[in-house]
Amino acid sequence: MLPASLDEAVSAMAESPGAVPVAGGTDLMGAVNAGLLRPMALLGLGRVAELRGWQYQDGAALLGAGLTHARMARPDFAALIPALAEAAATVGPPQVRNVGTLGGNIVSAHPAGDTLPVLAALEATVTLVGPEGGREVAVSHLLTGLDPLRSGELLAYVRVPLLHAPQVFLKSGGRTGPSRAVASVALVLDPARRAVRCAVGAVAPVPLRPLEAEQWVAGCIDWDGERTVDPGVAQAFGEYVASACVPDAGAEAAAARTDAAPTTARLRRTVSVLARRALGRALS
Amino acid sequence: MTTPSDSTDATGGHLGGNPGSGETTLTNLATVREGAPGSATGAALGGLLGATPTAPAPVDTPGTETAAAIRAQRSGIGVSALREDAPAKAMGVYPYAADLWAEGLLWGALARSPYAHARMVSIDTRAALAIPGVYAVLTADDLPPGPDGTPNGAPTGPCIADRPILAAGVVRHHGEPFAAVAADHPDTARLAAASITVEWEPLPALTDPDQAFQAPPLHPDGNIFRQLPIRFGDPEVVGEVVVEGMYQVGRQDPAPIGAEAGLAVPRPDGGVELHVATTDPHGDRDRIASCLGIEPDRVRLVVSGVPGATADRDDLGFQATLALLAARTGHPVKMVLTREESFLSHPHRHPALLRYRHHADAEGRLVKVEAQILLDGGAYADVSSEVLANAAALAAGPYVVPHVFVDAWAVRTNNPPSGRMRGEGALQACFAYESQLDRLAAALDLSPLELRRRNVMATGDLLPTGQAVTCPAPVRELLDAVADEPLPPLPVDRPDAEWLLPEGPGGAGEPAAVRRGIGYAVGMVPMLGVEGSDEVATASVRVTGSQASVICAAVDPGTGFATLAKQIVQEVLGVDDVYIAPVDTDQPASGPSARGRQTWVAGGAIERAALMVRQQLLQPLAARFAMSPELLSIKDGRITSYDGVLGMPVLEALEGKDLWATAQCRPHPTEPLNPETGQGDAFVGLGFCAMRAVVDVDIDLGTVRVVEVTAAQDVGRALNPRQIEARIEAGVTQGLGLALMEDLTVAEGHILAPSLVGYRLPTALDAPDIRVAALIEDRDVVAPFGAKAVGAAPAVVAPAAIAAAVRAATGMPITRLPIPPEDAAV
Ligand SMILES: Cc1cc2nc3c(=O)[nH]c(=O)nc-3n(C[C@H](O)[C@H](O)[C@H](O)COP(=O)(O)OP(=O)(O)OC[C@H]3O[C@@H](n4cnc5c(N)ncnc54)[C@H](O)[C@@H]3O)c2cc1C
Repeated sequence: MLPASLDEAVSAMAESPGAVPVAGGTDLMGAVNAGLLRPMALLGLGRVAELRGWQYQDGAALLGAGLTHARMARPDFAALIPALAEAAATVGPPQVRNVGTLGGNIVSAHPAGDTLPVLAALEATVTLVGPEGGREVAVSHLLTGLDPLRSGELLAYVRVPLLHAPQVFLKSGGRTGPSRAVASVALVLDPARRAVRCAVGAVAPVPLRPLEAEQWVAGCIDWDGERTVDPGVAQAFGEYVASACVPDAGAEAAAARTDAAPTTARLRRTVSVLARRALGRALS
Repeated sequence: MTTPSDSTDATGGHLGGNPGSGETTLTNLATVREGAPGSATGAALGGLLGATPTAPAPVDTPGTETAAAIRAQRSGIGVSALREDAPAKAMGVYPYAADLWAEGLLWGALARSPYAHARMVSIDTRAALAIPGVYAVLTADDLPPGPDGTPNGAPTGPCIADRPILAAGVVRHHGEPFAAVAADHPDTARLAAASITVEWEPLPALTDPDQAFQAPPLHPDGNIFRQLPIRFGDPEVVGEVVVEGMYQVGRQDPAPIGAEAGLAVPRPDGGVELHVATTDPHGDRDRIASCLGIEPDRVRLVVSGVPGATADRDDLGFQATLALLAARTGHPVKMVLTREESFLSHPHRHPALLRYRHHADAEGRLVKVEAQILLDGGAYADVSSEVLANAAALAAGPYVVPHVFVDAWAVRTNNPPSGRMRGEGALQACFAYESQLDRLAAALDLSPLELRRRNVMATGDLLPTGQAVTCPAPVRELLDAVADEPLPPLPVDRPDAEWLLPEGPGGAGEPAAVRRGIGYAVGMVPMLGVEGSDEVATASVRVTGSQASVICAAVDPGTGFATLAKQIVQEVLGVDDVYIAPVDTDQPASGPSARGRQTWVAGGAIERAALMVRQQLLQPLAARFAMSPELLSIKDGRITSYDGVLGMPVLEALEGKDLWATAQCRPHPTEPLNPETGQGDAFVGLGFCAMRAVVDVDIDLGTVRVVEVTAAQDVGRALNPRQIEARIEAGVTQGLGLALMEDLTVAEGHILAPSLVGYRLPTALDAPDIRVAALIEDRDVVAPFGAKAVGAAPAVVAPAAIAAAVRAATGMPITRLPIPPEDAAV
């Protein structure tokens, strides 16, 4: 099934309850080919043009779920939401970025999904559209399962506030070539609210927000002046974030993933370095 | 379709440019069309690539001097001829074993153990057999019974027959097959395999090789595959400076590009014909026949396109059960393993634990090396005894050491199977002794390069096994060659400058945290099999009119052997058009394509056969010219007399002739090492390699990027320089994988992530610039053409060189491979 509009897609979903939507297919088709999944029908979202762009709405950007990573990595998008562009640019190899989508990344909800910590730090919301119409859900609620995707629903848009301030996404994969994140950190400044928001990816099933560390470091920043902090603060922030997000049981959460689990000590160190560097870059 | 550049390479253009030429070769090949060398499925290529324009055949050009010069560059030994299969492989149209098809075929699947160690109390196949579409469900009961009349799973193995084809009564590693199914659809076969009910009684898994000595035996043969001491010199000697270290090497997977696949077709005589991607067709045929309890000549193996092999490939359980399914059902059966199964079943590199103590005098000359080496052989013997011999005998490295004491063990565990993988045994030892030399250099306050220069061995020096190194051993020259190369420029930290950081493009790398390090390593590998293994190969060469053909059962698994075979015939006979026949077991045996032996033994056999044909060609001419055939030479497609007066083109001399010869090559014999002292002439020859690695390390994250690897290799003679460079690139990249990321993690005997997501292979971005500083051509007089094997040495040395560079960058000891980031973070 290849609907050409969102409405068509939603009604197609309603008509064939066993159908599974497929966007870029980079997650889904791997599972299908390996025989792990045998969908009754596939609903291709590739022709739904309205999901492939973005528009502006009340100081926020409304991103189509069908935006590819390659598209988000381009300079015009990077000027808009720098951290999301940085995350998209590090997703897998170019072949995957060319077809893999924002919506797929969110719905797959892999612990190491690269856009997820960025969306968590930006406190983004998603629009889910079903037969009964649309509803707005916070990304974090969707990911934690507090408010999951219901059957027949499609993820249509992602609403991201435009902050007009530095934001950074840093990912460590432990190698030079493309890799899933061992750990990642998204950090955004929100000067209007004098806030720093940070999320750590890949260390737990969902992105984690170190709220106390955020508040503490926001208090160290001279928001009206140069917006810098001394290296000692950045270092302490890194360690604060790491100890908040990688508890001693952190290694177990990581072991639940498919790849070789790094040790807790290494994970802490990596998160601490990433958070320190992210803060440094956001404030430089 | 892109075409090989026809201005430079006649052999590239030849691909498919001569349709049907195979039909004129030996009669038993009359049905086989021209195909990719070493591959029956490659026959399809003639059609696929037939459109490739042929380079103007040199023989068509008038015999002007320039044409002769061009021709001289195009064929024969020392030329960088393009591999025939290269374009097809690059374009993705080369047929591999997984592409095979037969009318009415069934699909095979294996049921595998979910436990690392368990007893099978009972096994019930009724539910599986009841599934519609299932033709057969076989267990150990369907295999010939053991000597006491009870099923034993028809054990087999390259050295000791201890690995059951299908587990009988007990499973000894995660993923060990215990039943095989044939059904009309792959899903049905898998479903049936999953519905076999087994009552398991889990047993404690022995996963720490250190425990193997005390643990109850996992197998009636016991837990120690082999123990090998080496006693060389005086045990009481001590040096003025002593350094000690403990080293660990992880479990590397060969990760071939294509997982195991094959097709078995039953024969009317109760035998089977197997189309598989084997690297040892005759060995596999004999072992399969014995598992099936039939005569070897009722099993025929046809070698299909081999999608990557670093030595051995398929495990025999796969091939033998496939054959058995076909024989039992009377239908062709195809089986394609998933990547997960491939990780579970084929042999991996031996994980190793090495404890070393090096003694040196105050000037840094090595006095004594003491080592303890423990190899984890997994559940079955495979080639562990041979790998252990390599590790122990080469434990001191390419250095002059008057006193060497080694104790080495290969033990049985419930971990995944270990076996042959490029540089087996030599690699593990190289990482340890080279790390020790770095440690010693630091203790003596000498540069690592200088310390190595003071100790390197040369021809005539003794190995710790008492064997004198009689082949060229240009270790000093190799080391100097890499040291003399200019270093790559340092990156500049400017926004406009391109700098690939350790975390890759867009990663978290931070220029200020990056340290550069330079490390050196030298290493050595044995040529051919060791300790008295009978290395022999047979080849036939035939010339009919303008075309020569080669029949030799040496499999080219992608190493380029077929290209060399062609070059050898071109060189000896002066005929450009050489056809290499696909390999099957109707041909005389050539042994496995492993241990770097084919260039030597099979290449040697081809040369001899070609020389015999040459003799037949020249003899009548010599008689006509009234001179002895020795006074005639073949060069640039012409036969010329010693004085240059008489001569004619080779093709003219061949007109209307049909000449052929079969020859064998058997290198000089070796002997087993003495089980008490480890003394003996165990090696036919040795090959050496030196490398310099340059790395950038993000010292906060511990992430390493290898910037450049410069290699110098002792090749004896460069038969095809470009192919050697490719082997070096492959070896360095595989070595880099082991050094930085490739580790098949196992917990309690279970492979945690048997997939290419969990098992990380180097990508193009991880691969460094690889430069060849020198190919040292110091001919080995006992080797055909004086050429040494080139594949293993780079893989052996690269991990040690990269570890040395990381050590230099970070000042950390670096004792584990792959290097965990926490070991490289400062
Ligand atoms: C080699 C490789 C490397 C990768 N590396 C990375 C990496 O580094 N980082 C990373 O984050 N990811 C990585 N991925 C994963 C993947 O590419 C991304 O998660 C991608 O964003 C998924 O998008 P897609 O459009 O391909 O999703 P699909 O595979 O099409 O869909 C994924 C899931 O989402 C559902 N879905 C998709 N769109 C919608 C929608 N609009 N509404 C409702 N449900 C929907 C599908 O039904 C399916 O369940 C990698 C994948 C591969 C194959």
